[in-house]
Amino acid sequence: MGAHSVRLARIALLPLLLAAGCAAISPDASVAPKAEAVASQPAAASRATEPSAAPTPQPVPAVTPAPVAPKPALQPENKADRPATKAPAPSARPPAAPASTAAKSTPPPAAATSSSVAPPTLDLAALKEQLKETKAIGVFTKLTLKNQVDDLLQQFRDYYQGKAKVTMAQLRRSYDLLLMKVLSLLQDADQKLAAAIVSSREAIWALLADPKKFATLEG
Amino acid sequence: MINRTAVLSQVLLVAAFFAVPSSAADDAALKKDMTSVIALQGLPCGQVVAVKVNAENDYACSCKDGNRYRVYVNAAGRVVVEKQR
Repeated sequence: MGAHSVRLARIALLPLLLAAGCAAISPDASVAPKAEAVASQPAAASRATEPSAAPTPQPVPAVTPAPVAPKPALQPENKADRPATKAPAPSARPPAAPASTAAKSTPPPAAATSSSVAPPTLDLAALKEQLKETKAIGVFTKLTLKNQVDDLLQQFRDYYQGKAKVTMAQLRRSYDLLLMKVLSLLQDADQKLAAAIVSSREAIWALLADPKKFATLEG
Repeated sequence: MINRTAVLSQVLLVAAFFAVPSSAADDAALKKDMTSVIALQGLPCGQVVAVKVNAENDYACSCKDGNRYRVYVNAAGRVVVEKQR
């Protein structure tokens, strides 16, 4: 009788244990069927296109402690590059940012700039590593993104070698578009990484837009 | 003996019960991956509704809007999306 009850208990426990294992996995699966990604893209796009809105997201500080080392070097130069590179960008942006969101996001920067001038940023290596490791993007998607990043880097290479007919403004547009693609893939499933990328966007651009820094990237 | 068989059959039943959702989850993840890849190439699709594995890293995708694509990795390591007729 005792042996019977032990067996019964085993049989009853097995499904429960298996179910518990599946329950731990199910939240990941629930992220997949979300059809709202497309709908929420414009919101993220407006968030992404406004560098001033970047310091406000909360998850950013949590992501960046380790790779922050190169940040101080990047930030000041970033500002120096802005006047030259910023000019073409706004022409591509206005459609993305509605007036209401612009009005909404303007007050925080005033407060944010006084408290924390430099938003935490990722260096390229850390960003690459985190993108490789994230489970928010499938393998094929990652490979496609890598192809597109390589294509963009090739465009920069050609531009600096005088081979390409593209302008810096066009390169900036391509860069913004690529970043938007990455963000739209990440924003629902890996918000921390998405926020970190948003805050690193100008720092990365500073690396790409400066021929000397770009050369160091290549080497 | 009968008890052992009963236990074994129950274990198999439970395993089969949980194996199906697991493969379904993999399938959903693959469809999502393919949807992203096709969208990243700027091709019309909407959503991938069926994926057939042709070979390793080679898939035939059917989209919700009726388009069909072959998605594969070429020798250069690039993801190629080819429209099928």
